[in-house]
Amino acid sequence: MIIYPPAKVCSLRNSATIFAFLIVLSLSATASAQQKVSRHFPAGKNVRLELKNISGTITVETWAREEIKITATMEAPKALFNPRQTESGLVIDVVNDNRGRNDVGDINFKVQVPARSSVDLETRRGQITVSNIQGDLVRAHISTEGNIELSGINAARVFASNTIGDIYFDGEFASGGTYEFKSGRGVITLRLPANCGFRLVATAPAQKISMGQFWHPGMKLQGEGRRVIGDVGDGRASVTVTNYQGNINFLRR
Amino acid sequence: MNCEKYQNLLSDFIDGSLAKPDHDSVEIHLINCKPCAEARGDLVAIVGYCREHRGEYDAVPNERALWLRISNTIESELAVASPARIPPGTGWWFRLMNRSWELSFPQMAAAVAVLVIMVGAATTVGLRRFNFGGGSGVQSAGASLVLSESSVDDRYRQRKQVIAYWNQRVELNKQRWNPQMRETFDRNMSVIDAAVNDSMDRLKQNPHDEVSEEILNAALTDKVALLKEFSEL
Repeated sequence: MIIYPPAKVCSLRNSATIFAFLIVLSLSATASAQQKVSRHFPAGKNVRLELKNISGTITVETWAREEIKITATMEAPKALFNPRQTESGLVIDVVNDNRGRNDVGDINFKVQVPARSSVDLETRRGQITVSNIQGDLVRAHISTEGNIELSGINAARVFASNTIGDIYFDGEFASGGTYEFKSGRGVITLRLPANCGFRLVATAPAQKISMGQFWHPGMKLQGEGRRVIGDVGDGRASVTVTNYQGNINFLRR
Repeated sequence: MNCEKYQNLLSDFIDGSLAKPDHDSVEIHLINCKPCAEARGDLVAIVGYCREHRGEYDAVPNERALWLRISNTIESELAVASPARIPPGTGWWFRLMNRSWELSFPQMAAAVAVLVIMVGAATTVGLRRFNFGGGSGVQSAGASLVLSESSVDDRYRQRKQVIAYWNQRVELNKQRWNPQMRETFDRNMSVIDAAVNDSMDRLKQNPHDEVSEEILNAALTDKVALLKEFSEL
C-alpha cells in the first residue's frame, strides 16, 4: 500500500477537480456551439419533400399528422437553411442557401412527414434513413460516402445511390414500378416479400450476386456471372441493381 | 364512167341538182352497180338523219378562233413546265436547284440504295453516341451495342477531355475545402477510377464485353457528375 503525504493528496484532489471541470466546460461549449432548430409546415396527404444537404445525416419518418416537422441540428451556428413551401410540398436546399460560404459543417436533419409523401433526398456525405414511406417516390442520393437504409417502403419509384457505403432496402415492389440501386463500393441488400414480381438486371463486375431464394433456372447469367438478368414472379416491376466493387444480396422475408 | 366518178355525183343526185343526162346516167348505173347503190343508200340515210335533227346541235360559231385559244393555252402551259433557262455565271446551288432531273430506273435504284446506306450508317452512329452519352443513371437491360477496341479508346478520349475540364475546376476550389472534405473526395474518386480502370482492362482483353462497356460508361458518367458537384463547392 502506498501512503501519500497530506500535501500530495491535496494536490491530486485539486487536479481531478480541475480535470472534471474542464470536461464539463468543453461539453457545454460543444452543446452551445450546436444549434437545434425545429419547424412545422402544413401539408396535404400526398406532399413532396425535397431536401438537398451538403453534409450530415438525413432521417425521414412518418407520422399520423398532416404536417411536416423539420428538426435540424447544425454543427456550425453560421449554417443557414430556409425551407421553401411550394405547390407540391416543401423544398430545403442547404447547398443553395449556403452558396459562397466556406465550410458550414454538418447539418443533421430529422424530418417527420405524412405516410403518403414522396421524398427526394440528397447529400454529399452522411447517412440517409427513410422508413415507412408509402408515397410515389423515394429517392436517396449520396454523392460520396454514407449508408442508405430504406425500410418499410411501398413506393412506385425508388432510387438509391452512393459511392462508398451500404444500401439496404426492405419493402415492396409495386407492379409497373421502377427501382434502381447503385453503389460504387458497399453491400447492396434487398429484402423482399416472397410474392413480389420484378424484372431484374443486377450487375456486380467485381463481386458476387446472391439471389438467394429468388434464384430460378430461367435466369440468365452474363459476362461470367457478373450480371444476372431474369424475371421473378410476374416481372411487372423494373429493378436495376449495380455495384462496381461490392456484393448484391437478395433476401426473402 | 367508173364507180368513183358516179359516187362523186351521188350527193347532187340525191339533192336533184344534176342535169337530166347526168341524172339518167347515174340512175342506170345504180341499177346495175350494187356497191354504188349501197353508197347511195348510206348517203340518203345520213342526209335524211341530218334533215330530221336539224337545229338540235349548234354549230361552233367560230371554229378557227376556238382552236387558236386552245393552242395558245397549251403553249403557255408547256412554257411554264419547261426548265428555266439558267443565266451564265450563277452559283452552283442555283444551277442544282433549277436543273431538270430525269433518271433512268437503274439510276433511281442506285440513288435509293445509297440513301438507305447513308441513313443506316447515321442511325447506327447516333445510337452509339446516345448509348454512351446517357447520363440518367438508368441502365437499359437490352443495350448491346458492341464497339471495337479503337472506338472505346476514342470515346474514352472524348470523355477524358470533359473530365480534364471539370478536374481543373475542382483543383481551383479544392484549396478552400477542409482536409476532411478533400480526403473524402479523393477516396470516392479512387473508387470510381478503379471501376473505370477495371472496365478498360477487361475491354482491352475482350472488346465485345457488354458488361464492362456498360460499367465503363456508367462509371465515367458518375465521375463527371462527382467532379461537377464538387466544382461548385
